[in-house]
Amino acid sequence: MHFLIGFCELVLPFLYFATIWVYGKAFFSGSKGAESAKAPLLLTTASLHAGYVIIRTIVFSHPPITSVFEILSLIACTIVLVYTYIELRTGNTATGYFILMLPFFFQLVSSIFIKEVREIPPILRSSLLGFHVSSAFLGYAAITISAVYGFLYLMLYHDIKSSQFGVIYKRLPNLEILERMSFTATVFGFVLLTIAIVVGLIWLPRALENFSYADPKLFGTIAIWLIYAIGLMAKKVIGWQGKRIMVLSMFGFALAMFSITIINMFFGGFHKFY
Amino acid sequence: MNIHCLGINHRTAPIEIREKLWFSISEIQTMLPTLRDKYFHEVVLVSTCNRTEVYYVQRHELTNGKPVWRLLAKHKQSEETVGEHHFCLTSGIETAQHLFAVASGIDSMVLGDVQILSQMKEAFSAAQDSHTTGILMNRLFNTAFHVAKRARTETEIGEGAVSISYAAAELASKIFEDLSKRTALLIGAGETGKLTAKHLASRNLGTMLMANRTRQRAEELVAHLGGRVIDFDKILAELPHVDIIISSVEANAHILSAHDIRQVMKLRGNKPLFIIDIGVPRNVDPSANIIDNVFLHDIDALNHIVDHNLTSRRAQVPKIEKIISEELQHFQLWYDSLEVTPTIQQLRDQFEAIRQAEVEKHLHHFATDKREEIEMLTKRIVNKILHAPMVNLKNGTTEHTDEESRTRISVIRHIFGLDKRTHQ
Repeated sequence: MHFLIGFCELVLPFLYFATIWVYGKAFFSGSKGAESAKAPLLLTTASLHAGYVIIRTIVFSHPPITSVFEILSLIACTIVLVYTYIELRTGNTATGYFILMLPFFFQLVSSIFIKEVREIPPILRSSLLGFHVSSAFLGYAAITISAVYGFLYLMLYHDIKSSQFGVIYKRLPNLEILERMSFTATVFGFVLLTIAIVVGLIWLPRALENFSYADPKLFGTIAIWLIYAIGLMAKKVIGWQGKRIMVLSMFGFALAMFSITIINMFFGGFHKFY
Repeated sequence: MNIHCLGINHRTAPIEIREKLWFSISEIQTMLPTLRDKYFHEVVLVSTCNRTEVYYVQRHELTNGKPVWRLLAKHKQSEETVGEHHFCLTSGIETAQHLFAVASGIDSMVLGDVQILSQMKEAFSAAQDSHTTGILMNRLFNTAFHVAKRARTETEIGEGAVSISYAAAELASKIFEDLSKRTALLIGAGETGKLTAKHLASRNLGTMLMANRTRQRAEELVAHLGGRVIDFDKILAELPHVDIIISSVEANAHILSAHDIRQVMKLRGNKPLFIIDIGVPRNVDPSANIIDNVFLHDIDALNHIVDHNLTSRRAQVPKIEKIISEELQHFQLWYDSLEVTPTIQQLRDQFEAIRQAEVEKHLHHFATDKREEIEMLTKRIVNKILHAPMVNLKNGTTEHTDEESRTRISVIRHIFGLDKRTHQ
């Protein structure tokens, strides 16, 4: 089993790279061969990554959240799974090149630095934690995808405004679709983050001796949640549309990445298990 | 190769001449039997606004196409204006090459034009109905349709708008997901504006509003395109409910200022507004483009799209030429196979292969000393079965005309499955 884990860690970045390359070739050159290779490669990559996360959880008897590198791989996995679901649901494959860049980068860093943590805190073996963590990471995956759609929206918006009718104009879906996809992903992300925060706030003070409301990650997550809450309110109540809401979505994403990486690495707190 | 094409097109004759020689489908159906009876074994007449071309297999040697074009001109009563110099004549494989180029859209006036294919199919179907096609024309046109299909699926020759009005409609589809929920306002009754409105309507536009200084002209347009007329001086009041503005008015000053647009955007909750300003001088203050969610495009921007798409289409031409060259090779091979000698050889090979396979399968049932006898016996049976067809095939070439022989050979090839490539 350890061999299988090592194999996945080695192969996954290459598989992600191959998938992105094929998506990029189809997007930029319209290659028919690349177009037909997209779906099989994506499904292979997503299945292998999901398998890797499951095997790793079983072999080490804890969810892969004990180090920033395990977390990066878990986020990469949730992004690729959520994206695969979106692609199968909508049939729109043009945005894959941009979205899959993120899991590739996350998995590459994870594969290079990941190592087994010997001492596992007992809290990590709790099943309620699985619920808390999976909703949090699915939420992060959703807002990541929302941000990528936001980024694509801003690129297309810029190109149309400035009369640049290149490959972005030609291949991306229209502005309204991009805005709708970004909004749907944001709503999913917001609901999942809400669940993660509520479960965490109710259960963690009882489960952890060193629980503190002054935890930097708790602050970070609530700040992200607030940004999205404001964004959703602005859209629904004030009627914000298009560019502004997309910029807000990207700001929320930047804060989420800051919370996951920088806070995890440089600040202490009960969320740190290594 | 006895196939030829005589015709006029946008390269050889101006529109005044081309329109004189334009044949409707019913005229084509009248013309075809006459042409066949006088000159041809097989004939197809293709006529579009950019070309009128006769593809044929000739009965007797015609040194030039003079009798044919004179007959066409006479039928259209234009002998005085139409002359030999308007026509071009191709023969043999060049004819196939020309037809494949026409079918794939690379010989069209608008590069990659898709209309030509349906017109060619209609013309070919009319010829089939008039029984003026045979083995050569059937194969030639079916291969041309196959080339056209490959060009559409393997290249991007038909992609992107190549007219200003179509580019504007395409741009609207890049901003809005569902045009059936959108309202467009056409200001002025300029030709490009009307065409743009028409393209939007064909994309299932929700509501069309029209405003013109002369209300009567707007009403005429509405009767043609559908929609509702609004007063020219009430445009501003309607704008909060409008998602697309197409403006093509002759005016010395801007009819919509940036301030107007800013006010409208507030009233419409900052929802995206697409403005196509085709007027020269421009009808809408260009600085309105800096307002969030306002997409203002003038004639230059639309021209830019058209140029860009034409450049992309031109880049596809070498790929299509490669497809044409591949299909020409297949066509030539098929044509050559209609000779007697290769057909006899292939027929012999096919029967011999069947004989060998069957003998090998069952030879072990026989004693070793009998096996050679079995070989000889089966060979004799095959030779005897093939003897009569071979003799008749060889004699047929001396007794019948070239075209009749080819037809006979083609039937034999079809019955015995000697052609691996067939086009439906």
